Amino acid sequence: MADALHVGVNLDAFSHAISGIQALRSSVSRVFESLKDGMKNRETLEGREKIFISGFQEQLQSVNRDLNELERLSGLVGRPSESHPLHNSGLLSLDPVQDKTPLYSQLLQAYKWSNKLQYHAGLASSLLNQQSLKRSANQMGASAKRRPKVQPSTLVLPPQYVDDVISRIGRMFPDLTIELFRPNGTSAVLLVTLGKVLKAIVVMRSLFIDRTVVRGFNENVYNEDGKLDIWTKSQYQVFQKVTDHATTALLHYQLPQMPDVVVRSFMTWLRSYIKLFRQSLHKAVPVSLSALWTVPAGRTPSHLERL
Amino acid sequence: MGVTCVCQVPVTEGKSVQQTVDALHKKLEQLGAVKQGSFWVDCETYHPTGNVSGQPSKLLYVMHNSETPLSCMGLFEGGPCLIADANFDVLMVKLKSHFQNAKAHKVECRGSRYRYCDFLIKVGTVTMSSSARGISVEVEYCPCVVPGDCWNLTKEFMQSFLGTSVPELPSVFAAKPEGLFAPSDCVDTMTQYLELFNKLRKMQMPGSNVR
Repeated sequence: MADALHVGVNLDAFSHAISGIQALRSSVSRVFESLKDGMKNRETLEGREKIFISGFQEQLQSVNRDLNELERLSGLVGRPSESHPLHNSGLLSLDPVQDKTPLYSQLLQAYKWSNKLQYHAGLASSLLNQQSLKRSANQMGASAKRRPKVQPSTLVLPPQYVDDVISRIGRMFPDLTIELFRPNGTSAVLLVTLGKVLKAIVVMRSLFIDRTVVRGFNENVYNEDGKLDIWTKSQYQVFQKVTDHATTALLHYQLPQMPDVVVRSFMTWLRSYIKLFRQSLHKAVPVSLSALWTVPAGRTPSHLERL
Repeated sequence: MGVTCVCQVPVTEGKSVQQTVDALHKKLEQLGAVKQGSFWVDCETYHPTGNVSGQPSKLLYVMHNSETPLSCMGLFEGGPCLIADANFDVLMVKLKSHFQNAKAHKVECRGSRYRYCDFLIKVGTVTMSSSARGISVEVEYCPCVVPGDCWNLTKEFMQSFLGTSVPELPSVFAAKPEGLFAPSDCVDTMTQYLELFNKLRKMQMPGSNVR
Protein backbone atom coordinates (compact mmCIF):
# COMPACT_ATOMS: atom_id res chain seq x y z
CA MET A 1 0.00 0.00 0.00
CA ALA A 2 2.82 2.34 0.90
CA ASP A 3 4.42 1.45 -2.38
CA ALA A 4 1.27 2.49 -4.24
CA LEU A 5 1.18 5.89 -2.49
CA HIS A 6 4.80 6.47 -3.21
CA VAL A 7 4.16 5.78 -6.84
CA GLY A 8 1.21 8.19 -6.82
CA VAL A 9 3.46 11.05 -5.66
CA ASN A 10 6.06 10.12 -8.21
CA LEU A 11 3.56 10.21 -11.03
CA ASP A 12 3.10 13.95 -10.51
CA ALA A 13 6.84 14.52 -10.64
CA PHE A 14 7.01 12.35 -13.70
CA SER A 15 4.56 14.50 -15.65
CA HIS A 16 6.53 17.62 -14.68
CA ALA A 17 9.76 15.97 -15.69
CA ILE A 18 8.30 14.99 -19.04
CA SER A 19 7.19 18.55 -19.76
CA GLY A 20 10.69 19.68 -18.65
CA ILE A 21 12.24 17.37 -21.20
CA GLN A 22 9.92 18.74 -23.86
CA ALA A 23 10.96 22.29 -22.99
CA LEU A 24 14.64 21.38 -23.15
CA ARG A 25 14.22 19.73 -26.49
CA SER A 26 12.41 22.70 -27.98
CA SER A 27 15.02 25.19 -26.71
CA VAL A 28 17.86 23.02 -28.08
CA SER A 29 16.13 22.77 -31.42
CA ARG A 30 15.67 26.54 -31.44
CA VAL A 31 19.48 26.94 -31.04
CA PHE A 32 20.14 24.80 -34.07
CA GLU A 33 17.39 26.52 -35.99
CA SER A 34 18.99 29.92 -35.54
CA LEU A 35 22.46 28.52 -36.34
CA LYS A 36 21.08 27.07 -39.54
CA ASP A 37 19.42 30.35 -40.56
CA GLY A 38 22.64 32.24 -40.00
CA MET A 39 22.96 36.02 -39.80
CA LYS A 40 20.03 38.18 -40.85
CA ASN A 41 20.54 40.87 -43.45
CA ARG A 42 21.33 44.17 -41.72
CA GLU A 43 22.96 47.36 -42.98
CA THR A 44 26.31 46.91 -41.31
CA LEU A 45 28.35 43.77 -40.69
CA GLU A 46 28.82 44.76 -37.04
CA GLY A 47 25.09 45.11 -36.46
CA ARG A 48 24.54 41.71 -38.02
CA GLU A 49 27.10 40.00 -35.80
CA LYS A 50 25.92 41.76 -32.67
CA ILE A 51 22.33 40.75 -33.07
CA PHE A 52 23.26 37.16 -33.97
CA ILE A 53 25.52 36.72 -30.94
CA SER A 54 23.04 38.21 -28.50
CA GLY A 55 20.28 35.98 -29.87
CA PHE A 56 22.56 32.94 -29.62
CA GLN A 57 23.50 33.75 -26.03
CA GLU A 58 19.86 34.16 -25.10
CA GLN A 59 18.99 30.80 -26.57
CA LEU A 60 21.90 29.06 -24.85
CA GLN A 61 20.77 30.55 -21.57
CA SER A 62 17.29 29.22 -22.06
CA VAL A 63 18.79 25.77 -22.76
CA ASN A 64 20.77 26.07 -19.56
CA ARG A 65 17.69 27.09 -17.64
CA ASP A 66 15.67 24.18 -18.98
CA LEU A 67 18.45 21.76 -18.18
CA ASN A 68 18.68 22.97 -14.59
CA GLU A 69 14.94 22.69 -14.23
CA LEU A 70 15.06 19.10 -15.54
CA GLU A 71 17.82 18.16 -13.14
CA ARG A 72 15.80 19.48 -10.25
CA LEU A 73 12.73 17.52 -11.36
CA SER A 74 14.69 14.33 -11.82
CA GLY A 75 15.73 14.52 -8.18
CA LEU A 76 12.05 14.46 -7.25
CA VAL A 77 11.27 11.45 -9.37
CA GLY A 78 13.72 9.31 -7.40
CA ARG A 79 15.20 5.92 -8.19
CA PRO A 80 12.88 3.08 -9.20
CA SER A 81 12.15 0.78 -6.26
CA GLU A 82 14.70 -2.05 -6.10
CA SER A 83 12.48 -4.14 -3.84
CA HIS A 84 10.50 -5.71 -6.67
CA PRO A 85 12.30 -8.69 -8.31
CA LEU A 86 11.08 -7.71 -11.75
CA HIS A 87 12.11 -4.02 -11.28
CA ASN A 88 9.96 -1.59 -13.15
CA SER A 89 8.04 -4.28 -15.01
CA GLY A 90 6.76 -5.35 -11.58
CA LEU A 91 4.73 -2.14 -11.57
CA LEU A 92 2.58 -3.70 -14.28
CA SER A 93 0.93 -5.73 -11.52
CA LEU A 94 -0.57 -2.49 -10.22
CA ASP A 95 -2.46 -2.00 -13.45
CA PRO A 96 -6.15 -1.90 -12.40
CA VAL A 97 -7.44 -3.10 -15.78
CA GLN A 98 -5.74 -6.48 -15.46
CA ASP A 99 -8.64 -8.38 -16.98
CA LYS A 100 -8.39 -6.55 -20.26
CA THR A 101 -4.63 -6.57 -20.61
CA PRO A 102 -3.17 -9.64 -18.89
CA LEU A 103 0.32 -8.37 -19.62
CA TYR A 104 1.70 -8.97 -16.16
CA SER A 105 0.63 -12.64 -15.91
CA GLN A 106 1.98 -13.30 -19.40
CA LEU A 107 5.25 -11.73 -18.39
CA LEU A 108 5.49 -13.96 -15.33
CA GLN A 109 4.79 -17.04 -17.48
CA ALA A 110 7.54 -16.04 -19.86
CA TYR A 111 10.02 -15.62 -17.02
CA LYS A 112 9.14 -19.00 -15.54
CA TRP A 113 9.41 -20.66 -18.93
CA SER A 114 12.79 -19.21 -19.68
CA ASN A 115 14.10 -20.15 -16.22
CA LYS A 116 12.93 -23.73 -16.69
CA LEU A 117 14.46 -23.89 -20.15
CA GLN A 118 17.78 -22.75 -18.83
CA TYR A 119 17.66 -25.29 -16.01
CA HIS A 120 16.83 -28.21 -18.31
CA ALA A 121 19.41 -27.21 -20.85
CA GLY A 122 22.00 -27.24 -18.09
CA LEU A 123 20.97 -30.72 -16.97
CA ALA A 124 20.96 -32.06 -20.53
CA SER A 125 24.37 -30.73 -21.34
CA SER A 126 25.91 -32.20 -18.19
CA LEU A 127 24.31 -35.60 -18.96
CA LEU A 128 25.49 -35.60 -22.54
CA ASN A 129 29.00 -34.69 -21.55
CA GLN A 130 29.21 -37.74 -19.27
CA GLN A 131 28.55 -40.16 -22.14
CA SER A 132 31.40 -39.16 -24.32
CA LEU A 133 31.41 -42.46 -26.19
CA LYS A 134 27.88 -42.26 -27.49
CA ARG A 135 26.92 -40.97 -30.87
CA SER A 136 24.84 -38.05 -29.73
CA ALA A 137 27.48 -36.76 -27.35
CA ASN A 138 30.13 -37.20 -29.96
CA GLN A 139 28.34 -35.00 -32.42
CA MET A 140 27.91 -32.33 -29.82
CA GLY A 141 31.09 -32.54 -27.82
CA ALA A 142 33.73 -33.27 -30.39
CA SER A 143 34.75 -30.33 -32.46
CA ALA A 144 33.81 -30.14 -36.10
CA LYS A 145 37.44 -30.54 -37.03
CA ARG A 146 37.75 -33.95 -35.43
CA ARG A 147 34.81 -35.69 -36.97
CA PRO A 148 35.96 -35.84 -40.57
CA LYS A 149 39.25 -37.25 -39.31
CA VAL A 150 37.61 -40.17 -37.51
CA GLN A 151 35.12 -41.08 -40.18
CA PRO A 152 37.20 -41.79 -43.24
CA SER A 153 39.56 -44.16 -41.45
CA THR A 154 36.71 -46.36 -40.22
CA LEU A 155 34.46 -45.97 -43.24
CA VAL A 156 37.00 -47.11 -45.76
CA LEU A 157 37.81 -50.46 -44.28
CA PRO A 158 38.77 -53.15 -46.75
CA PRO A 159 35.96 -55.68 -47.32
CA GLN A 160 38.36 -58.45 -46.35
CA TYR A 161 38.71 -56.95 -42.87
CA VAL A 162 34.92 -56.70 -42.48
CA ASP A 163 34.59 -60.35 -43.52
CA ASP A 164 37.18 -61.35 -40.92
CA VAL A 165 35.51 -59.45 -38.11
CA ILE A 166 32.10 -60.88 -38.95
CA SER A 167 33.32 -64.45 -39.18
CA ARG A 168 35.16 -64.06 -35.88
CA ILE A 169 31.98 -62.84 -34.23
CA GLY A 170 30.08 -65.71 -35.84
CA ARG A 171 32.49 -68.21 -34.27
CA MET A 172 32.06 -66.57 -30.86
CA PHE A 173 28.36 -67.33 -30.66
CA PRO A 174 27.43 -70.91 -31.55
CA ASP A 175 23.69 -70.25 -31.62
CA LEU A 176 24.04 -67.33 -34.03
CA THR A 177 24.36 -68.08 -37.72
CA ILE A 178 25.65 -65.10 -39.64
CA GLU A 179 25.53 -65.01 -43.42
CA LEU A 180 27.17 -62.13 -45.24
CA PHE A 181 25.88 -60.69 -48.50
CA ARG A 182 27.10 -57.83 -50.63
CA PRO A 183 24.13 -56.98 -52.83
CA ASN A 184 25.27 -53.52 -53.84
CA GLY A 185 28.95 -52.70 -53.98
CA THR A 186 31.08 -53.18 -50.90
CA SER A 187 28.48 -52.59 -48.21
CA ALA A 188 27.66 -55.77 -46.36
CA VAL A 189 24.24 -57.02 -45.37
CA LEU A 190 24.13 -59.65 -42.65
CA LEU A 191 21.43 -62.24 -42.22
CA VAL A 192 21.61 -63.28 -38.59
CA THR A 193 19.63 -66.36 -37.60
CA LEU A 194 19.22 -66.82 -33.88
CA GLY A 195 18.44 -70.42 -33.03
CA LYS A 196 14.91 -71.14 -34.15
CA VAL A 197 13.58 -67.90 -32.77
CA LEU A 198 14.25 -65.05 -35.13
CA LYS A 199 16.06 -63.76 -38.16
CA ALA A 200 17.61 -60.33 -38.18
CA ILE A 201 18.75 -58.44 -41.25
CA VAL A 202 21.55 -56.06 -40.40
CA VAL A 203 22.57 -53.50 -43.00
CA MET A 204 26.16 -52.38 -42.56
CA ARG A 205 28.11 -49.44 -43.85
CA SER A 206 31.66 -50.64 -43.55
CA LEU A 207 31.58 -51.82 -39.92
CA PHE A 208 28.86 -49.42 -38.82
CA ILE A 209 25.41 -50.88 -38.37
CA ASP A 210 23.07 -48.76 -40.39
CA ARG A 211 19.71 -50.43 -40.05
CA THR A 212 18.19 -53.59 -38.73
CA VAL A 213 14.95 -55.49 -39.24
CA VAL A 214 13.94 -58.47 -37.12
CA ARG A 215 11.50 -61.08 -38.39
CA GLY A 216 10.17 -64.42 -37.27
CA PHE A 217 12.07 -67.61 -37.98
CA ASN A 218 9.35 -68.76 -40.37
CA GLU A 219 8.98 -65.47 -42.21
CA ASN A 220 10.42 -64.69 -45.61
CA VAL A 221 13.69 -62.84 -45.72
CA TYR A 222 14.00 -62.89 -49.49
CA ASN A 223 12.08 -61.03 -52.19
CA GLU A 224 10.42 -62.73 -55.10
CA ASP A 225 13.57 -62.09 -57.12
CA GLY A 226 15.73 -63.85 -54.57
CA LYS A 227 17.32 -60.77 -53.03
CA LEU A 228 17.37 -60.00 -49.33
CA ASP A 229 14.34 -57.94 -48.37
CA ILE A 230 15.68 -55.30 -46.04
CA TRP A 231 12.58 -53.12 -45.85
CA THR A 232 9.43 -55.10 -45.04
CA LYS A 233 8.40 -55.13 -41.41
CA SER A 234 7.58 -58.36 -39.63
CA GLN A 235 3.91 -59.33 -39.70
CA TYR A 236 4.04 -60.28 -36.03
CA GLN A 237 3.72 -57.71 -33.30
CA VAL A 238 6.41 -59.38 -31.19
CA PHE A 239 9.04 -58.92 -33.84
CA GLN A 240 7.95 -55.39 -34.69
CA LYS A 241 8.62 -54.62 -31.06
CA VAL A 242 11.95 -56.44 -31.12
CA THR A 243 12.89 -54.46 -34.24
CA ASP A 244 12.20 -51.25 -32.36
CA HIS A 245 14.34 -52.41 -29.47
CA ALA A 246 17.14 -53.51 -31.78
CA THR A 247 17.13 -50.13 -33.50
CA THR A 248 17.42 -48.47 -30.13
CA ALA A 249 20.25 -50.81 -29.22
CA LEU A 250 22.24 -50.01 -32.34
CA LEU A 251 21.87 -46.33 -31.66
CA HIS A 252 23.00 -46.98 -28.13
CA TYR A 253 26.16 -48.93 -28.96
CA GLN A 254 28.35 -46.41 -30.73
CA LEU A 255 32.11 -46.33 -30.54
CA PRO A 256 33.54 -44.77 -33.69
CA GLN A 257 37.11 -45.64 -32.80
CA MET A 258 36.40 -49.37 -32.44
CA PRO A 259 33.50 -50.32 -34.71
CA ASP A 260 34.10 -54.07 -34.31
CA VAL A 261 33.37 -53.82 -30.58
CA VAL A 262 30.06 -52.21 -31.46
CA VAL A 263 29.07 -55.07 -33.76
CA ARG A 264 30.09 -57.61 -31.13
CA SER A 265 28.11 -55.85 -28.40
CA PHE A 266 25.07 -55.69 -30.65
CA MET A 267 25.28 -59.42 -31.40
CA THR A 268 25.70 -60.24 -27.69
CA TRP A 269 22.63 -58.18 -26.99
CA LEU A 270 20.67 -59.82 -29.81
CA ARG A 271 21.66 -63.29 -28.61
CA SER A 272 19.84 -62.78 -25.33
CA TYR A 273 16.61 -63.03 -27.31
CA ILE A 274 17.10 -66.80 -27.55
CA LYS A 275 14.78 -67.08 -24.56
CA LEU A 276 12.19 -64.77 -26.09
CA PHE A 277 9.30 -67.23 -26.02
CA ARG A 278 10.34 -69.11 -22.92
CA GLN A 279 9.46 -66.35 -20.56
CA SER A 280 5.94 -66.36 -19.28
CA LEU A 281 3.57 -63.55 -20.08
CA HIS A 282 3.46 -62.11 -16.61
CA LYS A 283 7.18 -62.24 -15.97
CA ALA A 284 7.80 -60.18 -19.05
CA VAL A 285 7.24 -56.84 -17.42
CA PRO A 286 6.62 -54.20 -20.03
CA VAL A 287 9.19 -51.50 -19.57
CA SER A 288 9.41 -48.44 -21.71
CA LEU A 289 12.07 -48.21 -24.36
CA SER A 290 14.03 -45.74 -22.31
CA ALA A 291 14.89 -48.48 -19.85
CA LEU A 292 16.87 -50.18 -22.56
CA TRP A 293 19.42 -47.44 -22.48
CA THR A 294 20.55 -48.70 -19.14
CA VAL A 295 20.82 -52.37 -20.18
CA PRO A 296 24.50 -53.13 -20.60
CA ALA A 297 25.81 -55.58 -23.17
CA GLY A 298 25.18 -59.21 -22.44
CA ARG A 299 22.22 -58.74 -20.17
CA THR A 300 18.90 -60.40 -20.79
CA PRO A 301 16.37 -58.08 -22.37
CA SER A 302 13.80 -58.75 -19.71
CA HIS A 303 11.72 -55.82 -20.80
CA LEU A 304 9.80 -57.57 -23.51
CA GLU A 305 6.32 -56.56 -24.19
CA ARG A 306 4.95 -59.46 -26.06
CA LEU A 307 1.32 -58.57 -26.30
CA MET B 1 2.16 -70.69 -39.41
CA GLY B 2 3.11 -71.07 -35.80
CA VAL B 3 2.54 -73.53 -33.00
CA THR B 4 -1.03 -74.74 -32.73
CA CYS B 5 -2.88 -76.46 -29.94
CA VAL B 6 -6.34 -77.95 -30.37
CA CYS B 7 -8.37 -78.92 -27.33
CA GLN B 8 -11.85 -79.79 -26.29
CA VAL B 9 -13.82 -77.53 -24.00
CA PRO B 10 -16.45 -79.24 -21.84
CA VAL B 11 -19.97 -77.91 -22.07
CA THR B 12 -20.84 -75.92 -18.97
CA GLU B 13 -23.22 -77.66 -16.61
CA GLY B 14 -26.81 -76.71 -17.28
CA LYS B 15 -26.03 -74.87 -20.51
CA SER B 16 -26.35 -75.82 -24.15
CA VAL B 17 -23.42 -76.05 -26.55
CA GLN B 18 -24.40 -72.79 -28.20
CA GLN B 19 -24.60 -70.96 -24.87
CA THR B 20 -21.14 -72.19 -23.88
CA VAL B 21 -19.72 -71.08 -27.24
CA ASP B 22 -21.34 -67.67 -26.83
CA ALA B 23 -19.81 -67.35 -23.37
CA LEU B 24 -16.38 -68.15 -24.84
CA HIS B 25 -16.86 -65.53 -27.57
CA LYS B 26 -17.81 -62.99 -24.97
CA LYS B 27 -14.73 -63.76 -22.87
CA LEU B 28 -12.46 -63.43 -25.90
CA GLU B 29 -14.01 -60.12 -26.88
CA GLN B 30 -13.57 -58.85 -23.35
CA LEU B 31 -9.91 -59.79 -23.57
CA GLY B 32 -9.64 -57.58 -26.63
CA ALA B 33 -9.62 -60.21 -29.35
CA VAL B 34 -10.98 -59.15 -32.73
CA LYS B 35 -13.26 -61.37 -34.75
CA GLN B 36 -11.91 -62.24 -38.18
CA GLY B 37 -14.46 -64.23 -40.10
CA SER B 38 -15.17 -67.90 -39.67
CA PHE B 39 -13.48 -71.27 -40.21
CA TRP B 40 -14.38 -74.87 -40.81
CA VAL B 41 -12.65 -78.25 -40.61
CA ASP B 42 -14.21 -81.47 -41.80
CA CYS B 43 -13.24 -85.11 -41.78
CA GLU B 44 -14.53 -88.05 -43.81
CA THR B 45 -13.79 -91.64 -42.91
CA TYR B 46 -13.04 -94.39 -45.45
CA HIS B 47 -13.02 -98.10 -44.71
CA PRO B 48 -10.65 -100.20 -46.76
CA THR B 49 -12.55 -102.98 -48.50
CA GLY B 50 -9.68 -104.99 -49.92
CA ASN B 51 -8.49 -107.64 -47.51
CA VAL B 52 -4.80 -107.88 -47.04
CA SER B 53 -4.23 -111.13 -45.24
CA GLY B 54 -2.57 -110.94 -41.87
CA GLN B 55 -2.85 -107.17 -41.54
CA PRO B 56 -5.50 -105.33 -39.55
CA SER B 57 -7.27 -102.92 -41.86
CA LYS B 58 -6.47 -99.28 -41.28
CA LEU B 59 -8.97 -96.50 -41.62
CA LEU B 60 -8.26 -93.59 -43.95
CA TYR B 61 -9.35 -90.11 -42.99
CA VAL B 62 -9.69 -87.32 -45.55
CA MET B 63 -9.73 -83.87 -44.01
CA HIS B 64 -10.23 -80.29 -45.21
CA ASN B 65 -9.36 -77.06 -43.49
CA SER B 66 -10.53 -73.57 -44.43
CA GLU B 67 -7.01 -72.27 -43.71
CA THR B 68 -5.73 -74.28 -46.67
CA PRO B 69 -8.71 -74.21 -49.03
CA LEU B 70 -6.82 -75.60 -52.02
CA SER B 71 -5.43 -78.60 -50.21
CA CYS B 72 -6.82 -81.75 -48.81
CA MET B 73 -5.24 -84.11 -46.35
CA GLY B 74 -5.25 -87.86 -46.23
CA LEU B 75 -4.30 -89.46 -42.93
CA PHE B 76 -3.97 -93.16 -42.29
CA GLU B 77 -4.89 -94.26 -38.82
CA GLY B 78 -1.64 -94.06 -36.87
CA GLY B 79 0.33 -94.06 -40.07
CA PRO B 80 1.60 -91.80 -42.78
CA CYS B 81 -0.23 -88.77 -44.02
CA LEU B 82 -0.18 -86.89 -47.25
CA ILE B 83 -1.18 -83.46 -48.46
CA ALA B 84 -2.94 -83.39 -51.83
CA ASP B 85 -4.83 -81.00 -54.06
CA ALA B 86 -8.48 -80.45 -53.37
CA ASN B 87 -9.57 -82.81 -56.13
CA PHE B 88 -8.25 -85.73 -54.10
CA ASP B 89 -11.92 -86.22 -53.15
CA VAL B 90 -12.72 -87.06 -56.76
CA LEU B 91 -9.93 -89.59 -56.78
CA MET B 92 -11.38 -91.23 -53.70
CA VAL B 93 -14.69 -91.67 -55.52
CA LYS B 94 -12.79 -93.53 -58.24
CA LEU B 95 -11.16 -95.73 -55.61
CA LYS B 96 -14.57 -96.85 -54.42
CA SER B 97 -13.65 -100.49 -54.86
CA HIS B 98 -10.85 -100.14 -52.32
CA PHE B 99 -12.14 -97.52 -49.90
CA GLN B 100 -15.73 -97.24 -48.77
CA ASN B 101 -16.94 -93.87 -47.55
CA ALA B 102 -18.57 -94.17 -44.15
CA LYS B 103 -20.98 -91.28 -44.67
CA ALA B 104 -22.47 -91.54 -41.19
CA HIS B 105 -19.05 -90.86 -39.71
CA LYS B 106 -18.56 -87.47 -41.31
CA VAL B 107 -17.51 -84.94 -38.68
CA GLU B 108 -17.55 -81.20 -39.12
CA CYS B 109 -16.34 -78.33 -37.02
CA ARG B 110 -17.47 -74.78 -37.71
CA GLY B 111 -17.08 -71.57 -35.83
CA SER B 112 -15.53 -68.13 -35.56
CA ARG B 113 -11.95 -67.07 -35.89
CA TYR B 114 -10.49 -64.48 -33.55
CA ARG B 115 -7.17 -62.66 -33.53
CA TYR B 116 -5.56 -61.38 -30.35
CA CYS B 117 -2.18 -59.77 -31.12
CA ASP B 118 -0.06 -62.66 -32.38
CA PHE B 119 -2.52 -65.33 -31.25
CA LEU B 120 -5.12 -66.85 -33.53
CA ILE B 121 -8.09 -68.40 -31.75
CA LYS B 122 -10.77 -70.57 -33.35
CA VAL B 123 -13.79 -71.60 -31.36
CA GLY B 124 -15.85 -74.24 -33.15
CA THR B 125 -18.80 -76.52 -32.65
CA VAL B 126 -18.15 -80.13 -33.58
CA THR B 127 -21.16 -81.72 -35.29
CA MET B 128 -21.64 -85.29 -36.34
CA SER B 129 -24.64 -86.25 -38.49
CA SER B 130 -26.24 -82.87 -37.70
CA SER B 131 -26.02 -83.16 -33.92
CA ALA B 132 -23.66 -81.04 -31.88
CA ARG B 133 -21.15 -83.19 -30.05
CA GLY B 134 -18.82 -80.75 -28.39
CA ILE B 135 -16.75 -77.60 -28.54
CA SER B 136 -13.25 -77.29 -29.92
CA VAL B 137 -10.80 -74.50 -29.31
CA GLU B 138 -7.73 -74.05 -31.46
CA VAL B 139 -5.06 -71.61 -30.34
CA GLU B 140 -2.16 -70.73 -32.59
CA TYR B 141 0.82 -68.63 -31.58
CA CYS B 142 2.02 -67.46 -34.97
CA PRO B 143 5.55 -66.05 -34.45
CA CYS B 144 7.10 -69.13 -32.85
CA VAL B 145 8.01 -72.41 -34.52
CA VAL B 146 9.33 -74.48 -31.61
CA PRO B 147 6.46 -75.95 -29.56
CA GLY B 148 8.63 -76.55 -26.51
CA ASP B 149 9.62 -72.89 -26.39
CA CYS B 150 6.26 -71.24 -26.44
CA TRP B 151 4.09 -73.89 -24.82
CA ASN B 152 4.06 -72.18 -21.42
CA LEU B 153 3.20 -68.92 -23.09
CA THR B 154 0.32 -70.49 -25.01
CA LYS B 155 -0.88 -72.33 -21.92
CA GLU B 156 -0.91 -69.14 -19.91
CA PHE B 157 -2.88 -67.40 -22.61
CA MET B 158 -5.40 -70.24 -22.80
CA GLN B 159 -5.85 -70.14 -19.05
CA SER B 160 -6.95 -66.55 -19.36
CA PHE B 161 -10.13 -67.47 -21.20
CA LEU B 162 -10.57 -71.22 -20.67
CA GLY B 163 -9.95 -71.29 -16.95
CA THR B 164 -9.05 -74.73 -15.67
CA SER B 165 -9.80 -76.80 -18.76
CA VAL B 166 -6.39 -76.21 -20.32
CA PRO B 167 -4.82 -79.30 -21.89
CA GLU B 168 -1.31 -80.61 -21.51
CA LEU B 169 1.23 -80.35 -24.30
CA PRO B 170 -0.35 -82.12 -27.29
CA SER B 171 1.08 -85.59 -27.86
CA VAL B 172 2.08 -84.75 -31.45
CA PHE B 173 4.69 -82.38 -30.04
CA ALA B 174 5.76 -84.65 -27.22
CA ALA B 175 6.88 -87.14 -29.84
CA LYS B 176 9.39 -84.70 -31.35
CA PRO B 177 10.77 -82.47 -28.63
CA GLU B 178 13.34 -80.68 -30.75
CA GLY B 179 11.29 -80.79 -33.91
CA LEU B 180 10.11 -77.80 -35.81
CA PHE B 181 6.53 -77.01 -36.42
CA ALA B 182 7.32 -76.35 -40.04
CA PRO B 183 4.96 -74.47 -42.37
CA SER B 184 4.04 -77.67 -44.19
CA ASP B 185 3.18 -79.23 -40.87
CA CYS B 186 -0.43 -78.27 -40.71
CA VAL B 187 -0.39 -82.05 -40.41
CA ASP B 188 0.19 -81.51 -36.69
CA THR B 189 -2.92 -79.39 -36.45
CA MET B 190 -5.00 -81.86 -38.42
CA THR B 191 -3.75 -84.80 -36.34
CA GLN B 192 -4.93 -82.98 -33.25
CA TYR B 193 -8.33 -82.35 -34.82
CA LEU B 194 -8.56 -86.01 -35.78
CA GLU B 195 -7.76 -87.10 -32.22
CA LEU B 196 -10.43 -84.74 -30.93
CA PHE B 197 -13.00 -85.99 -33.43
CA ASN B 198 -12.29 -89.62 -32.56
CA LYS B 199 -12.61 -88.86 -28.87
CA LEU B 200 -15.97 -87.16 -29.40
CA ARG B 201 -17.16 -89.94 -31.70
CA LYS B 202 -16.53 -92.56 -29.05
CA MET B 203 -18.37 -90.51 -26.48
CA GLN B 204 -21.87 -91.62 -25.64
CA MET B 205 -24.51 -89.37 -27.06
CA PRO B 206 -25.45 -87.41 -23.94
CA GLY B 207 -29.18 -87.53 -24.50
CA SER B 208 -31.07 -85.71 -27.19
CA ASN B 209 -31.18 -82.35 -25.41
CA VAL B 210 -27.75 -81.30 -26.58
CA ARG B 211 -29.01 -78.87 -29.13
